[in-house]
Amino acid sequence: MTTTEETPRLPFARADALAIAPDYEALRRQAPVSRVLTPAGDPAWLVTSFEEAKEIFRDKRFGRSHPAPEQASRISHAAIQDGPSGDFDTEEQEHKRMRRMLAPAFSAPRMRALGDRIEELTTRCLDDMRAAHDAHPGEPVNLTELLAFPLPVLVICELLGVPFDDREHFRNLSERIAVMDGGADAQAAMTEFKDYMTGLADAKRANPQADVISDMVAVQADDPTFTDDDLARMGAGLLFAGHETTSTRIAMGVLFLLTDTARRDRFAADPEGEVNQTVEEILRMTATSGTGLLRYAHEDVEVAGTRIMRGDAVLISSDAANRDAAAFADPDEFDPGRTPNVHLAFGTGAHVCIGANLARTELRTVFPALFRAFPQMRLAVGLDDIAVRVNRVAGGVDRVPVTW
Amino acid sequence: MKISVDTGKCVSSGQCVLLAPETFDQNEDDGTVVLLADEPPAGERDAARQAELTCPAAAIRLAEA
Ligand code: SF4
Repeated sequence: MTTTEETPRLPFARADALAIAPDYEALRRQAPVSRVLTPAGDPAWLVTSFEEAKEIFRDKRFGRSHPAPEQASRISHAAIQDGPSGDFDTEEQEHKRMRRMLAPAFSAPRMRALGDRIEELTTRCLDDMRAAHDAHPGEPVNLTELLAFPLPVLVICELLGVPFDDREHFRNLSERIAVMDGGADAQAAMTEFKDYMTGLADAKRANPQADVISDMVAVQADDPTFTDDDLARMGAGLLFAGHETTSTRIAMGVLFLLTDTARRDRFAADPEGEVNQTVEEILRMTATSGTGLLRYAHEDVEVAGTRIMRGDAVLISSDAANRDAAAFADPDEFDPGRTPNVHLAFGTGAHVCIGANLARTELRTVFPALFRAFPQMRLAVGLDDIAVRVNRVAGGVDRVPVTW
Repeated sequence: MKISVDTGKCVSSGQCVLLAPETFDQNEDDGTVVLLADEPPAGERDAARQAELTCPAAAIRLAEA
């Protein structure tokens, strides 16, 4: 890029909900790692190529903390993924503790055990969709409100041990902490969110259950360095993550399947047989956040000939990496036949999303159930009428009106 | 096809188990990988290869026999 050109600023605009911004490819053609400005206006590196994204995800010289946090580039004015988190000296150790504490609850055997329950909750959501359709025949049903949103929330509530009845409260908090220019309100919401978690943890301390918050409370009893604030922050993070991430994948998966009738029919004809590959392809193609995942360099590192200095912010765009033609043939084509389909939707390396198995289990349940129930489902509006949320950390779409 | 796993590297993500459940399992206590078969069942070769490539910790190795 010549010096006369302005440094591009995130987030980039995209044509519609299923596309990703063309700027990513334009940047990747110049280099795997580019100079950009964050939504907050600070300098950062943006990683757009698959190989380098994988390399940095797996490189221990990058972390979420910063050697001098007050000097760190800020990403946004939300209250998550906005800047450095954790302590530079103890990050690795704390991360290990977190994984150890949570791994059993999110493990594949636990997910298998949870499978039947997820089926039941899915059926409940599908019944609600049917009821809404029957109550107002001919009118579109908002799939986001009746399925894509409530299902992941129901599931994460069960897993964590959070009362579903509180959902309006923590939905509101989850939304507010993730507003990219939320500023003081995002911070206030984070404080409220932690207070809410602290209240729940107190209740579990008095009356432990088989759930993740009770597990965390039990760990805390043995390890006083795991503070109330750590616990509240982690609990809020997990509850937040259970909201928009899987919800977005459900909504987007439906969009991918419905925007091409042949694709829908192929899936509806053999949902069980198609589901695993289809879910991987939905994961690969769904463009989510406008920024990518945040890391800070803990030492000077050279990546593909680019020198990244200690303390520099690095945004890894899984969205862009997952559409890198060097790793995926015809990357913008939705092709469930790809094998292997090794995408970076959950990141990789030590920080790989702990909810990956949970998300996969939910997605593998929801799509077959949905298309068995409504094989003739179609979008009730044009793709261009589906607005993409640009001002949210996890992106997503507001509504997916469907009918059948 | 021979499989080996390095439990020391494993970060307990369980991705292998979900991809190839007849080849891999996870320890109940800490979630580390357990190899169920050092050769994947015929129907699970592609899945085992995907698990090798997907493993976030690069803890799985497949060698063609
Ligand atoms: S995918 Fe890799 S890191 Fe995850 S459980 Fe299996 S071996 Fe361990």
